[in-house]
Amino acid sequence: MDSVTKVINKEKNYAVFPLVCADHCAWLCKTPFKEVVQDGEKLAGVIYQAYQEYAYDMVLIFSDPYVEAQALGCAVEFSPRLKLLGPSSRIVETIAPIKSVRAGRAHASCGIDRTHVILRAAEILKKKAPVPVYVSVKGPFSLAAFIATTDHFLKLLIVAEEKARRFIDVALDFQHKYIARLIELGVGIFIGDPMASSSIISPELFRKFAFEPLRMLVKEIKNGRCYAGIHVCGNSLPIMSMLDDVGADILSVEDISPETRTLKMGGVSTSTIYEGDREKIKHEISRAAGNTRLIISTSCDVPAETDPVNVKAMIQFAREIT
Amino acid sequence: MTPADITQAIIDLDVDKARLIVEKLIGSGIDPEEILDHGLVPGMKKVGDLFSEKVFYVPEVLLAAEAFYAGFNLVQPLIKKNRPGGRKGKIVMGVVEGDIHDIGKNIVKVVCESSGYEIIDLGKDVPCDKFVSTVIQEKPRILAMSSLMTTTMTGMKRVIDQLEAKGIRETVHVIVGGAPLTDDYARGIGADGYGHDAIQALAVVDKIIRKTHKG
Repeated sequence: MDSVTKVINKEKNYAVFPLVCADHCAWLCKTPFKEVVQDGEKLAGVIYQAYQEYAYDMVLIFSDPYVEAQALGCAVEFSPRLKLLGPSSRIVETIAPIKSVRAGRAHASCGIDRTHVILRAAEILKKKAPVPVYVSVKGPFSLAAFIATTDHFLKLLIVAEEKARRFIDVALDFQHKYIARLIELGVGIFIGDPMASSSIISPELFRKFAFEPLRMLVKEIKNGRCYAGIHVCGNSLPIMSMLDDVGADILSVEDISPETRTLKMGGVSTSTIYEGDREKIKHEISRAAGNTRLIISTSCDVPAETDPVNVKAMIQFAREIT
Repeated sequence: MTPADITQAIIDLDVDKARLIVEKLIGSGIDPEEILDHGLVPGMKKVGDLFSEKVFYVPEVLLAAEAFYAGFNLVQPLIKKNRPGGRKGKIVMGVVEGDIHDIGKNIVKVVCESSGYEIIDLGKDVPCDKFVSTVIQEKPRILAMSSLMTTTMTGMKRVIDQLEAKGIRETVHVIVGGAPLTDDYARGIGADGYGHDAIQALAVVDKIIRKTHKG
C-alpha cells in the first residue's frame, strides 16, 4: 500500500506532496502551459516528469480552475496565461436574466469541454505512476460563481437566494456526471472550493450554500470506493468544523492547527515554498510535524516559477521526519 | 429624511433606497458635501468596521459598495464643482496582468474613495507597461496593485522593477495586496506597503500620506 493511503488508513503518520500543479510542471518541463492544458497526453507527461524529478507520494491532476466552467459555456482564453473571460451566457440567460450580468464575450474557445483532457491524463497516469493519482475538480459553490461571474453570484447569495441556488444546482449536476467518470477510472478526487473560503463568505453562507453540495459529492466519491479530498484556500478556521463534517478523507487547508477527525494536508505556506529558504521550509515542516498524522504539503498551489531547490528541500525535510 | 438615513441604507445593503434618499436630499437643496460627509462616507466607514469585525464578508461589502456608488455617482459631479482639489491624494490601482479577480481591488477602491482619495482604476489584467505609463502620466501619490493568484503575483515585481528602470520609483509609493501575498513577500519585491484586507490597505495609505504630506 502507498504512503498516502497508509496515512489515510492510520497505518502511517506522514506522507508528502507539495501541491504541484500543471503550471509548475509545465514550467519545469519547459512546455508551454497552453499546450499542456489542452492535451491529455502532454498534461500527463509533464505531471509524470515532475513526479520523477521530485519523487513525492502522490500526483495531482490540476490543470487550471476553469475546466468545468468552460465545459459549461464560459469563455476562456489560453494565452499568455489562462483567463476566464466571461460568464456562461447560455446558463445566465436560461437561469437568471439579471440586469447587471453582461453576456459572456464571444470567443473561439467558448464552450469547449476540456474534461476529456483531464480524463485522458488520469487514464495515462493511473497506468504509469507508482503513487496514487488524484484529480482536482471544482466545488459546486465555486463553479457556480465562475459560471455566473463571481461578484454577481456573491450578491445573489444575499438578495436572490433562489437564483443563486439554481446556479449551484447546474454546477452540482455537472459535477455528478464528471465525478462518475473519474470514479470509473479509480482515481482519488480532490474538490477545490476557493470561493467558499471564509476569506470571502461568512460561515453562515457556507452552511447555507456550500456545505451540502460538498457533502453530497464526497459521499458519492466514497460510495464509488475512491478517496475524497477537499481543498479550501485562505482562511478556513471559522468553517473548520463544517469542513470536518463533510466526511472527506483529506482536508487541505492553510491553517492546520485545529484538531479534526479528517486527515489534514498542509503545513508549509505558499509564500515560503516560493520565496523562502531551506531554513524557513525546515522550520515550518518541524512545526507541522506536531500533528499526529499529516500529509505534509503546501497550503495552496506551488507557484509556477518556484525554484525546484525549494520543492526538493521540502520533500527532503519531510522525509527526515517521516 | 437626513444624510444619516443614507448611512443606514448602506449598512442595510439597500441599493435602491440609498439612491432614492440621495436623489431626494439633492432635490431638497441639501449641500452635496453634507450628503457625502454625513451620509455616504459614514456608511462605508461602518461597513469597513463590520468587515473588520467579521460581521460582513465580501458579498455584503459588494452590496454596500453598490449602495455607496448609487449615491456617490449622484453627488460626485456636484462636489467636484464646489470643492476642486479637495481630495486627499491620487491613487492608481489595478489587478496585475493575467489576473481577472478584481473583487478585492474593488473593495479597496470603494474604501479609499469613500475616505476622500481620488482613484484612477485601471481595472483587471493590467499590463506592466500600463501601470508604468499611468504613473508617469498621472503622477499619483500611491500605486496599488493586487493579485489573487500565485501564478500572477510575480507581475508586481516586474512593475516595480520597471519603475526603477525608468527612474521614477522614488516618485510613487507602491502598495500591494491579495490573498496569496504576505508582508514578507511585499518587502521582498520592494513594495512600500502591504494590506491584508481593504481596511488595512486604507490604514497603510493613510500612514503613507500622513508621513509624506508636504505642507
